[in-house]
Amino acid sequence: MGTFMILFTFLGGITLSAQSSINGTLSRKTGTIETTFLTFATGTMFLAIFILFFGQGNILALLEAPKWQLSAAFLGTLYLLLTVIAVPRIGVIATNIAGIIGQLVIGIVIDNFGWFNSLVIPLDTKRAFSLLFMIIALYFIYKGNKRSREEIPVQHR
Amino acid sequence: MRYFAYILALLAGAALSFEGAIYGELGKTIGQLETSFYNFFMGSIIMGLLWIFFGKGKLSHTAEAPKWSLLGGLLGVVYLTSIVISVPFVGVGITMVAVIIGQMVMSMIIEHYGWLGSKKLKINKEKIFAVISMIIALVLVN
Repeated sequence: MGTFMILFTFLGGITLSAQSSINGTLSRKTGTIETTFLTFATGTMFLAIFILFFGQGNILALLEAPKWQLSAAFLGTLYLLLTVIAVPRIGVIATNIAGIIGQLVIGIVIDNFGWFNSLVIPLDTKRAFSLLFMIIALYFIYKGNKRSREEIPVQHR
Repeated sequence: MRYFAYILALLAGAALSFEGAIYGELGKTIGQLETSFYNFFMGSIIMGLLWIFFGKGKLSHTAEAPKWSLLGGLLGVVYLTSIVISVPFVGVGITMVAVIIGQMVMSMIIEHYGWLGSKKLKINKEKIFAVISMIIALVLVN
C-alpha cells in the first residue's frame, strides 16, 4: 500500500508541473488574472461533484472555523497567480524549482518555531546544509536557463 | 525583470507552505475534501473580483482556446487530492519528497520537448546539477 501511495503522490507532482505549463500557455492569450480565475472556477466545479459523492466532513463547519484558518485561501490564490506570471518569463522548471525552494525554506521556518500548531523541529546542521544546497540549486537553474537561451537566440518575448 | 520573476516564484512557494500548514488545521475540523473545495471556492471569488476590477486579458478567448489548455483546474484538484489521500499512509515527509521529485522530473521533460505549449529549453549540465542539489537538500531536510 505504501509504495502505491508514493507512486500516487509522484503522479500528483507530475500533474502540478503539467498544470503550471498549461496555465502559462493559456495566459499568453487569455491573460494572467483570467487564467487564474478559470483554474479556480473549474476546480470548484469538479470538487463540488466530488464532495457530493465522497465528502465525509462537514462543509458547514466552515462558518465556525477560526478566521485565521480561512485566510489561507488568499495564500492559495497568491500561489497560483504568481506561478501564472512567472512561467512565461522564466520557464516551467525554473518556476517550479524556485517555488519548491520558497516552500521548503518557509517549511523549515514554520517547523523551527512550531507555528500553526505544527510539530517543533529545530533548525539543525543537517537542515542548514539543506538550505545551502537549495541555494546551489537555484544558482544552477539560473545558469542553465541562461545557457539554453543563448543556444536558441531567437525567442519570442 | 527576469530576477523579479524568480522572486515571484519563490514567494509563490512560500505562500504554498503557509497555506499547507494552515489548511492542515482547517482539515481537522471540516474535512480534507471540504478544505480543498473551500480553497477553490474562495479562490474563484477572489479572482472573480480581481478580474472585474483589473482584468486586462480576454476571458472570451477561453471559447477558442484548445480544450486541453483548460484542464489546469482539474489537474490542481488531482494534485491536492493525491496529497490529502497519501499523507495519512506514508507521512508528510515522504509525500512532499515524492511530489517534489515528480514535479522536477516532469518540468524538465515538459520543457526539454516544449510540450503543452511551453517554450522549448534544452536540458543541460547545469539543470541536472540543480535537480541533484535539490534531491540532496530534500534528503537533508527529512
